[in-house]
Amino acid sequence: MSLANRMALASPQVRAVCVEANEFPHLSAQFRVRGVPHTVINRRSAFVGALPEREFVAAVLEGAGIPVEEPHEAPSGPSTEISG
Amino acid sequence: MAVIPEPVRQQLKDRFDTVLSGPVHLTLYTRPGSSRLILPAGVGCATCEDARQMAELLREAAPEKVTLEVVDVTRDPARANADGVDDVPTMSVASNSETGRIRFQGLPTGTEFPALIDAVERVSRMEHGLSEESVAALAKLTEPAEVMVFATPT
Repeated sequence: MSLANRMALASPQVRAVCVEANEFPHLSAQFRVRGVPHTVINRRSAFVGALPEREFVAAVLEGAGIPVEEPHEAPSGPSTEISG
Repeated sequence: MAVIPEPVRQQLKDRFDTVLSGPVHLTLYTRPGSSRLILPAGVGCATCEDARQMAELLREAAPEKVTLEVVDVTRDPARANADGVDDVPTMSVASNSETGRIRFQGLPTGTEFPALIDAVERVSRMEHGLSEESVAALAKLTEPAEVMVFATPT
């Protein structure tokens, strides 16, 4: 969550929201949170686990629909699309 | 409830004395509390009072640098709507009174508390600490991007 906050500080386009998963079960259910940290970008794509800075930034760009040169690799698997 | 014990408050004050450089504005969006009762979404707020105490302790740790505004979303729903706040408690961290883009939704205890302190310090110092490569990549964003990170206290 610190990386997300730092991105919000570095870019005026980024808004970082740290959500206490137990306190908002409707959001945890909506975004299919099974483990933490669980990161959701633009309420569309998601990944589980902590990523290094470079991969995290790439995941944010990818989630925002901006092509990235190198695909990131999440430690627990590729990012997933959220439907519904 | 003392969210933050006295020794930690003193440690926080000592740390903020040396680390903070510029102003930090906290905005806490709350709803009148209902103690520990678990109520349906949108009714009452089980952790708003604790969140208010935590926000006030942050301010009291560095009153010359940290300002706090408390917004009751039941009295000012237009403000909450304009700031894009859907749930309470939500605390935003910004360098001025503009809408903060660093937010903590829910009571930031456990692993979230260090992230909150880190956010206050980084905002105060305007120090994101990212690599030039990351900053250049983020500059490609032409539209707002929301990064939600779900965490738990333990």
